[in-house]
Amino acid sequence: MSLLLRFYPIIPLCSLCLRGEMILKRMMVMSQISITVDNLHKKMGATLALKGITTRFEPARLHGIIGPDGAGKTTFIRILVGLLTPNQGSIQFYQGEQPIAFQSIRPKIAYMPQQQSLYADLSVGEHLDFFKDMYVIPSEVYITRRAELLRLTRMEPFQDRVAGKLSGGMYKKLGLMCALLQSPDVVFLDEPTNGVDPISRREFWELLYRLLQQKILVIISTAYMDEAERCSRVHVLEEGRILSTGEPRSILKRENVDNFEDFFVKYSERVKP
Amino acid sequence: MSEVFRWSRAFSVARKEVRHVWRDPFTLAWSIGLPLILVIFFGYAIDFNVRDVQLNIADRDNTRASRQFLQQFSSSQYFKLKHVKPGENVRRDLDQERIKGVLIIEPGFGRAVGAKQPTTVQLLLDGADNSTVGIIIGYVAGIQKAVQQKLYGERKIMPLQMKSRFLFNQEQSSQWFIVPGLVVIVVGLLSILLTALTVAREWENGSMELLLSTPVKPLEIILGKLAPYLVIVLISAGLVYLIARFQFGIPFRGSHLLFVGGVILFLTLCLAQGLLISVITRQQQLAMMLSFISGLLPTLLLSGFIFPIESMPKFFYYFTYILAPRWFMVISRGLFLKGAGIYELAEPLLMLLLLNIILVVVAIKSFKQDMEP
Repeated sequence: MSLLLRFYPIIPLCSLCLRGEMILKRMMVMSQISITVDNLHKKMGATLALKGITTRFEPARLHGIIGPDGAGKTTFIRILVGLLTPNQGSIQFYQGEQPIAFQSIRPKIAYMPQQQSLYADLSVGEHLDFFKDMYVIPSEVYITRRAELLRLTRMEPFQDRVAGKLSGGMYKKLGLMCALLQSPDVVFLDEPTNGVDPISRREFWELLYRLLQQKILVIISTAYMDEAERCSRVHVLEEGRILSTGEPRSILKRENVDNFEDFFVKYSERVKP
Repeated sequence: MSEVFRWSRAFSVARKEVRHVWRDPFTLAWSIGLPLILVIFFGYAIDFNVRDVQLNIADRDNTRASRQFLQQFSSSQYFKLKHVKPGENVRRDLDQERIKGVLIIEPGFGRAVGAKQPTTVQLLLDGADNSTVGIIIGYVAGIQKAVQQKLYGERKIMPLQMKSRFLFNQEQSSQWFIVPGLVVIVVGLLSILLTALTVAREWENGSMELLLSTPVKPLEIILGKLAPYLVIVLISAGLVYLIARFQFGIPFRGSHLLFVGGVILFLTLCLAQGLLISVITRQQQLAMMLSFISGLLPTLLLSGFIFPIESMPKFFYYFTYILAPRWFMVISRGLFLKGAGIYELAEPLLMLLLLNIILVVVAIKSFKQDMEP
């Protein structure tokens, strides 16, 4: 049910006849977002944070940008969500096959920053109310959506707790809820599991998989190498460059390593012999 | 869909801001405490009218005339006289900063007065403290005139006489002069400080990053965040007004409507200044420091609050033209004491409006929509 929420006006239609189902399918393909990134350069102060990134984010997949701290993950994501402007290179969003202007896709982008970004003195419920207004979500839609998200994240009992008193895992879940409130087409999560205990991390990933059932584009960054294999596409970032991109398994096979930790160890040995 | 300005979003930002203020007693304490402290401090501590000046007397003549002369001094209420014993060093107390002056009457004073001959009395003053001494000189001139009539009789009537009458502040009360100026300080400092802190807090807290990634417009953030502080500072200004009227008994002779208009004009200008500071610093501590410096120093020193603008060097005199507190000071004093109308206040009002527009436009333009440093 949750995955169809965005298309709820179409649901009665598709129950009528087969043609409706086809329309629904085509609509889903139509609204699917993909992104191509071409030769992205970004200078942060004196250092060149991104040194020519070229890659592609395919629709309806869970993409992982993995790399150690300082690789440029946050800078890359901030450019993708329009919070930073690249010095060189371009980003193109596509809706289906059609190129689409960033300004028109922007309202359907959800973003969860890496650093703490919620209001310590506002409660879980007040956060949701606030972001409902920011995204201008109609009240009827909001009520169902809010209940659904609270159930999914198992945060129902904590609605009145202020963000400053939430545990690390719950804090991240609240951040995710705020981002997902508007039923986005693209979701950017910058190190969402950073500093979260292993059990909460697994719980968080389960949430992400449910999110993916809605056939939306999810881009996540992480410095935890074990999380790379949970993604359907991986973009390995190191010192502002993409080292490798593709399915996690095929990357490991290609590089002849067992896991991504070995991948980075092998890479650093190759760079400074 | 995302391009339109929505009042609902600005309102929601404002509601969130009110919650912050309500849950953080610091802000409310500032907005009530600062006006009270400033008014008590400036209203009671600063008094330009010097009273009870300590004066040492060396009456080496000690005649009826010299005693009459001194009588005039002590009955003026301005001076406290202390006779120095013969042979004692008359200047010692002056050197030790215990007194402000020494009055020396040489022998022969009484004789000269009796013979209606001209004579002199010496007054040594502590020139190191020129502001107090300047006031003393004024008192002495008055006493001299009175004593002359008493000792030499009405014979020397001066054909040309200057008759002064003080308008607006008949009793020359310092509080009447200071307290209307405090409105300027309280409104200016509070609105700059509170705004600078609230936007800087949003940056420091990291929430600005999340906020900027939503479809909310910068103008919606600005209006929503500043509106609650507009109300808070208006209440603080009202508090100063009430204290001025009912605690200090200062008259308000002008139009209240014009006053509210002037306050809002000056207030929005200061909000824009605070916004500009926080946009530049993005840090609460730095924002606080800059707010204090830029909100307090020009108002205290260059607005005519205490030091007259007319006697400043040319450069500073014209420099004050770009300082909003200077213009609002004229408006506040004009409305409280002089009952000035819109025509008399046209120049300061127009200058305030001009500076307001410039600062508001600059502040809004410089408000970042992204995370670029």
